[in-house]
Amino acid sequence: MRDPTFSDDQLRELLPRLRRFARWLTRDADSADDLVQATLERALIRWGSRRDDAALRAWLFSIAYRQFIDDKRRARRHALMLELLGRSAPAEQASVEREVVAQSVVQALERLPDEQRHLLLWVSVEGLSYCEVADLLDIPIGTVMSRLSRARSALRRLGDGEVPRTTVLRLLK
Amino acid sequence: MNDTRPFPSETDIHAWVDGRMDVAGCVRMEAWLASNLRRAEEIRGWQRDAQQLRAALGGLPPAAGQRTLDPTMIRARRRRRVRARIAMAAVLVLTLGVGMVGGWQARRMAAPAASAPMADALQAYRMFASNRHLNLDVTQHEPGQLQGWLRQHFRNAPRLPDLDGAGFHPVGARLLATDSGPAAMVLYQNAEGGAISFYIRPPSPSHGVLPRGQRRDGQLVATYWSGNGYNYALVSPVNASDVRVIREAAFPPSI
Repeated sequence: MRDPTFSDDQLRELLPRLRRFARWLTRDADSADDLVQATLERALIRWGSRRDDAALRAWLFSIAYRQFIDDKRRARRHALMLELLGRSAPAEQASVEREVVAQSVVQALERLPDEQRHLLLWVSVEGLSYCEVADLLDIPIGTVMSRLSRARSALRRLGDGEVPRTTVLRLLK
Repeated sequence: MNDTRPFPSETDIHAWVDGRMDVAGCVRMEAWLASNLRRAEEIRGWQRDAQQLRAALGGLPPAAGQRTLDPTMIRARRRRRVRARIAMAAVLVLTLGVGMVGGWQARRMAAPAASAPMADALQAYRMFASNRHLNLDVTQHEPGQLQGWLRQHFRNAPRLPDLDGAGFHPVGARLLATDSGPAAMVLYQNAEGGAISFYIRPPSPSHGVLPRGQRRDGQLVATYWSGNGYNYALVSPVNASDVRVIREAAFPPSI
């Protein structure tokens, strides 16, 4: 039998990383927590067999990602509707990354398309395996590799000529 | 086998950049980089970028606000919402029910009767007093339970009419829907199984604040009044044993 306390502890432990993952997607702290909440609600409903931490993390991320894509689609439809009604959609939210003390590589990352930005964050910062990324995006692993190459080249081009700095970086909240 | 494939593959390169290559692979990769300087410059750049991203963005969000995302809180919120949804579903079923009964009544009765004051109270009585517990949202197991339930659903809910004097006690209630907002019917019963209902609803556009009154409709009589921002009715069969107690409950001398 599954021990629910243990499961909740597992979830709690992963919560900060799930929040960070959501912030990367939404680029806004408040909407990120809304996304985390929606993700956990789904996760708690579908919670079946107990998973080890790595599998649980990948599973939570995939729920969050799918939810995010759904939300975005809905928002796009909504924006389209507003446009049809002759009103403009609300401006994009300020990015979380923008709160980080400026550094060339972060600035370069910001200028990448979402798809490439997510990929680099997932692989380089979150440390998701290539397989996990392939599952998350529902694409073959070979495609992950070629996209990763393109993303890394693009980041290089944008941040090119910058000498790595030793500035101490911190999140401003 | 590995040697027959060109080295390094795209996967090898990324694995090296991300530090996911075994020692033997790393040695091989370093050798290859040393003899492919142009590619090496780019690939080492990739590695530097990845390290810098990790350093810049590897921090976790501050814990502020995390409490509301705790699994326990999420579960509690979900339970509350499910309960609300069930209540809403009940209201919808009831809306359909009242709609059907209303339609039936409208066909059976003269049209103006449907728009007479508290027509819905009479309809609700017909629908639920004859089906009793089958259709109730909540049944009273201890005194005061229904009063609490009413307070939960209606701001400034009034005290439930006291029909003890006529031998009627509240047994259960049902949440209902009207065109102006939620309504409820509290069912009273006596030892003989007779039923009286107390009905509360927001004022409607056609019937705002009601003057105290009573009207008969078929075998039922509705005693109605207003107060606290709601309209009320007590509905009982015409031949109820103690109409005086009902009138007194509806129009206590203090009001």
